[in-house]
Amino acid sequence: MSDILLDIRDLHAGIEGKEILHGVNLTIGYGEIHAVMGPNGAGKSTLGAVLTGRPGYEVTSGTVTFAGRDLLAMTPEERSWAGLFLSFQYPIEIAGVTMTNFLKAAVQARRKAAGLPELSAGEFLALMKQKMALLKMKPEFAKREVNVGFSGGEKKRGEIFQMAMLEPVLSILDETDSGLDVDALKIVADGVNSLRTPETSAIIITHYQKLLEYIVPDVVHVLKEGRIVKTAGRELVDVIENEGFEAING
Amino acid sequence: MDEALKEITSKQYKEGFVTDVEQEYVPKGLSEAIIRQISAIKGEPQWLLDFRLDAFRKWQQMTPPTWGHLDLPEIDFQDIIYYAAPKKDSERPKEIDPALAETFDKLGIPLSEREVLAGVKSKVAVDAVFDSVSVTTTFRKTLAEKGIIFCSFSEAVRDYPELVRKYLATVVPAGDNFYAALNSAVFSDGSFCYIPKGVKCPMDLSSYFRINASGTGQFERTLIVADEGSQVSYMEGCTAPMRDEHQLHAAVVEIVVEAGADVRYSTVQNWYPGDEHGRGGILNLVTKRGICKGEGSHLSWTQVETGSAITWKYPSTILKGDYSSSEFYSVALTNNYQQADTGTKMIHLGRGTKSRIISKGISAGHSQNSYRGLVQMNPAAEGARNYSQCDSLLIGSLCGAHTFPVIRNSCPTAIVEHEATTSKISEDQLFYCNQRGIAPEEAVGLIVNGYAKEVLQRLPMEFAVEAQKLLSVSLEGSIG
Amino acid sequence: MDKVFVIGRDEIPSKVVLGAGESLRATFVALPGASAHLSLTVELTGEGAELDAAGLFVCREAENVSIEMNVRHLAGRCRSNQMFRGIADGRSRVRFNGLIYVEQDAQKTEAYQSCHSLLLSEGARVETDPQLEIYADDVVCSHGAAIGYPSADELFYMRSRGIPEQEARRLQIISFLSPVLSRLPEEFYSLIGFQS
Repeated sequence: MSDILLDIRDLHAGIEGKEILHGVNLTIGYGEIHAVMGPNGAGKSTLGAVLTGRPGYEVTSGTVTFAGRDLLAMTPEERSWAGLFLSFQYPIEIAGVTMTNFLKAAVQARRKAAGLPELSAGEFLALMKQKMALLKMKPEFAKREVNVGFSGGEKKRGEIFQMAMLEPVLSILDETDSGLDVDALKIVADGVNSLRTPETSAIIITHYQKLLEYIVPDVVHVLKEGRIVKTAGRELVDVIENEGFEAING
Repeated sequence: MDEALKEITSKQYKEGFVTDVEQEYVPKGLSEAIIRQISAIKGEPQWLLDFRLDAFRKWQQMTPPTWGHLDLPEIDFQDIIYYAAPKKDSERPKEIDPALAETFDKLGIPLSEREVLAGVKSKVAVDAVFDSVSVTTTFRKTLAEKGIIFCSFSEAVRDYPELVRKYLATVVPAGDNFYAALNSAVFSDGSFCYIPKGVKCPMDLSSYFRINASGTGQFERTLIVADEGSQVSYMEGCTAPMRDEHQLHAAVVEIVVEAGADVRYSTVQNWYPGDEHGRGGILNLVTKRGICKGEGSHLSWTQVETGSAITWKYPSTILKGDYSSSEFYSVALTNNYQQADTGTKMIHLGRGTKSRIISKGISAGHSQNSYRGLVQMNPAAEGARNYSQCDSLLIGSLCGAHTFPVIRNSCPTAIVEHEATTSKISEDQLFYCNQRGIAPEEAVGLIVNGYAKEVLQRLPMEFAVEAQKLLSVSLEGSIG
Repeated sequence: MDKVFVIGRDEIPSKVVLGAGESLRATFVALPGASAHLSLTVELTGEGAELDAAGLFVCREAENVSIEMNVRHLAGRCRSNQMFRGIADGRSRVRFNGLIYVEQDAQKTEAYQSCHSLLLSEGARVETDPQLEIYADDVVCSHGAAIGYPSADELFYMRSRGIPEQEARRLQIISFLSPVLSRLPEEFYSLIGFQS
């Protein structure tokens, strides 16, 4: 097995005929946490959308290899089964479907794809309970409709809870810190840290440095105008903090 | 108090005067002979006479529509004079009769280009129609320099017959409905406008319709053609004298919008609404329709309806061109015994077409006010969208507010959304105004203007100011 | 508790009169596979009468479903609420015609109506005619109607969690129908083809 989990090469992609990513190169190894930072409109969220196969986004050229497989040839659910998870910047509300039913459908499909037997109702509920405890979620959370009537903080915690349930190999956290106060930020960061293993990786997409005080990245990339203009260690966060994105040029 | 109120209500329609001018008429009644006579007076070509006669035969087979939520008095179509025109001074045939000039001046309609250019009046080209004829059209030369044709319908028939023939009745066929057929048979004058390819009209265009003679009806016809990539903003205004009998107004407006063109059509309808007992007033039964023929074309309707005893009117758009779009913004205010049944149809045929309907109905006194609409998505209207919001406001417990939309969808990638609310004017808002020293009637005017703002702000500036005043004036006497 | 009526199977009166203080809570269901016609007039004739009606239609083939609701507020201080949800697939035809009528004396009326449909195939047709006819002024009345298709964002969200497309689409329809579905006993899930 190679040490490389995700390999993006010269990725050009956009939406509605407008190219947003102009040749992105990014390599992530197993067990690594990468931060992708950049000003508004740099293409950060587009990167997350393209990697997870969001309809409407078009890849015009380039390749993405995920755990040795051609990611771009896979459907969104196949990417999920392969271990890719996106924490949405704006989680979608699904009225009338409880969190339990929603995650049951997701977990069972994933097990089926992996050739594993389905979990019994009891096993599934036990798993829910265990993960909810891990993230300090209240029991009634399981009965609530997916993201309906959730506050901003609850939605983001809900995303991390789903991440815990699906045990991804690579998690993409798209602006998970936006709209969170410090307490909520800590809970989310603790959750992410507690789910970390030597085999799992994460991409943290963010505009600010706050979240990176709690989830310490191994590598920091600056994305500007659709290109990665700088890659360095965590010290880059401080440079951005002090000098802004204007100071970073490739 | 009653006296004071009476005074206000009798004062409210300031356009209710009569112009004393010598007129010529055709005899009362409707027949083939009358139609031939109207056509002869206007010196029309044979094809247009044939068009009229064909429409007349269709009309004879038709019956008046009864589906409106209206208590329409029976109209004796043989008791109407179908053509009335001020006599031309044979010594000065080119000049406007001073009495007519004075009339339009009194109505605030700028017929003097000099005053407009001097900045005294706003820069608008006007086609002024008095009873059955257009008395003048301003700025024709200025517009002609850009290739824009703006003239009376009669002149267009004479000078641009091939254009008129190409587009006439292509949007509203002669037999479309009872009143459109009647109009097609007897229409007397109206405005014609053609904006050539790629031309942005340098000033707003407008038609002003004035009914003056008693016992007559007005049957004008407007045809607007916006060729590819052109732009025009068109305004329509109208008034009539106060009389105890009803007068019929049955107009047809047709608009053709070619690819990439943009037409904005605004109406402030202020026909005489009848008195506080429901006597008299104009029966406003009109057919207005446009077609967004080409790709990316756009047609917007904005109307403020405060006048007429009865309004039966549905400015509609056929969205044929792919990615074409249309809007209907309407304020309809009824007071005393007025009745309005108005709304729109948005027929989506093309791919990616979009429409939006915002309707604000305000009912006061004993009036009845209805929104009626149709939104239809045909199978080929892939990705089409419509959003409609229809609100009704009730002022007083004796009026009615009704909403009759129909939405039809035959396209699985199209979305239609409709919302409607009905409620009474907020007592909290009224009290708040009163507490700040604003008298009840003024407060109602203020609140209603706020309620209608979304529509009013779509009107060209000077029109918006006029419309705001009208809304307040029309509500006088609504708070007892 | 809801009274549940299957349109075309159960006997449904054509007119219900609710006097002072009386109330009715009922849900009407058009099951897949059968054409159905419902025509119901509810008159609220006494102060404080309440109607809480809901309806569901699930058309997958060539069903022809028509629903006519005529809710008449003839006395003051009554409330009515109507909520309809449905899907039209295959070559089905659906027509909803719902009137809220409020008489001049029926002050302090509250009346609501909504009818939302999903159009799932090119062969299906949905027509919705919601109507308000109101002669009293101290009222709060509204209606809402929509005909559309399931949200693409919702679908992607589910797929990104590993829920296969077909299952995600099924869940979306359950989600859409849920405000009415939740008023029905469990067995209706399988009757309308959604084993839970």
